Amino acid sequence: MESSKISVQNLKKSFGKLEVLKGISVEVAEGEVVCLIGPSGSGKSTFLRCLNRLEKITAGEVIVDGHPISDPNVNINKVRENIGMVFQHFNLFPHLSVKENITLAPTELNRMNKEEAEGKAMELLDRVGLHDKADAYPGQLSGGQKQRVAIARSLAMNPDIMLFDEPTSALDPEMVGEVLEVMKQLAADGMTMVVVTHEMGFAREVADRVIFMDDGCIVEEGTPEEIFSHPKEERTISFLNKVL
Amino acid sequence: MAIIDILVRYFPSFNTALGATLKLTVISLLMATVLGVVFGLFKVSGIRPLKLIANIYIDIIRGTPLMVQTMIVFYGISQVLRPLGFSWGNIGGAYTAGAVTLSLNAGAYMAEIIRGGIEAIDKGQMEAARSLGLPYGKAMRKVILPQAFRTMMPSIINQFIISLKDTSLISIIGIRELTQNGKIIAANSASMVMAIWVVVALYYLVICTMLSKVALVVERKVSYGKQ
Repeated sequence: MESSKISVQNLKKSFGKLEVLKGISVEVAEGEVVCLIGPSGSGKSTFLRCLNRLEKITAGEVIVDGHPISDPNVNINKVRENIGMVFQHFNLFPHLSVKENITLAPTELNRMNKEEAEGKAMELLDRVGLHDKADAYPGQLSGGQKQRVAIARSLAMNPDIMLFDEPTSALDPEMVGEVLEVMKQLAADGMTMVVVTHEMGFAREVADRVIFMDDGCIVEEGTPEEIFSHPKEERTISFLNKVL
Repeated sequence: MAIIDILVRYFPSFNTALGATLKLTVISLLMATVLGVVFGLFKVSGIRPLKLIANIYIDIIRGTPLMVQTMIVFYGISQVLRPLGFSWGNIGGAYTAGAVTLSLNAGAYMAEIIRGGIEAIDKGQMEAARSLGLPYGKAMRKVILPQAFRTMMPSIINQFIISLKDTSLISIIGIRELTQNGKIIAANSASMVMAIWVVVALYYLVICTMLSKVALVVERKVSYGKQ
């Protein structure tokens, strides 16, 4: 328990009368890559968004990196600096250049001065293969490029944990690979990652553990091999039959 | 010909009046922008009491005519506050009262424009900024407002034009701006009434047209990196 990077106990989340998460408990170890799969509306994204409190937690306990996220008194801004998040629709800041998108948080939060932040930005752009796009604006990039910039942006704060919310779902098929490639690299570098995804190939190849969710509950979890090759639950089997 | 005659004969007086109109407009709009940002942010804050305050302010301003507002500010307030030693005369007279009224008036409309502009920005922008660890205020200032201002620019300049023309109504409390100036001149030369008011109209027309042109240029300037 002590070594968990993320520890979730009996997490519940309701939107009004609609209960979206019905008591989720998950532990994620340092350096582990966990993929969340399941049909749309199963609560995967909501679960992910509870991990950095983009969604208010209705009940239960979420501890990330030792910080009780579910406690209203926790300095959530401080905790979020340590949790990178990548969105389905990239959410790059369109009024800022690629470089400015990446340097905004480190400079505004006084983590780095301008030169350091720019150096870091260029290093990250190298890493995602977009060195030459530093001065471009998001509107001039393709979807895959945007998502890679978004990943670089969240890495600029040197997070310990990265959350991915369907990072390739809004991409044209030919751009999915370049984004997954960057994510694989991150995983290989030992980043703790929680990934909501429909890319079963990616989950199978990169995940240490796959969690299948349906209707606000965890139905089944295990290694990719266990989930994809020997699923036990009826709902897992029927879901995999549809998507594979 | 009468128009040119009037224009030449009363040129200095019209220019002084134009100065008054412009000064009134610029001061009011600066104040209105501040009020608009504050109350616009109140409205999107999600904090009930702040929202309520903003709603009351905006409803009162939108639900009453500017001329009545002017009367209340100039005559009403000086009557009520006179026992406390207050007098508009001590702080610039009708001119200040007019500027205050127009600021309050335009401020309410600006608040609505700013609220709309902020709400038009995709929710994901705030989420992305917050998930980087930026506090609400910083996210607003660095991410949301710069984008919102771009989309709001046409409406803001439109409000500038409306406020500029609204200065005309404020002449009711005796500020010698363009309209009041026209009234005074017309009172002394009954045979030239038409020409005098056409000149007044032309003054407004020229500045407002210039403002619209500026609006066009600004609009083109602020559409960033999108293809």
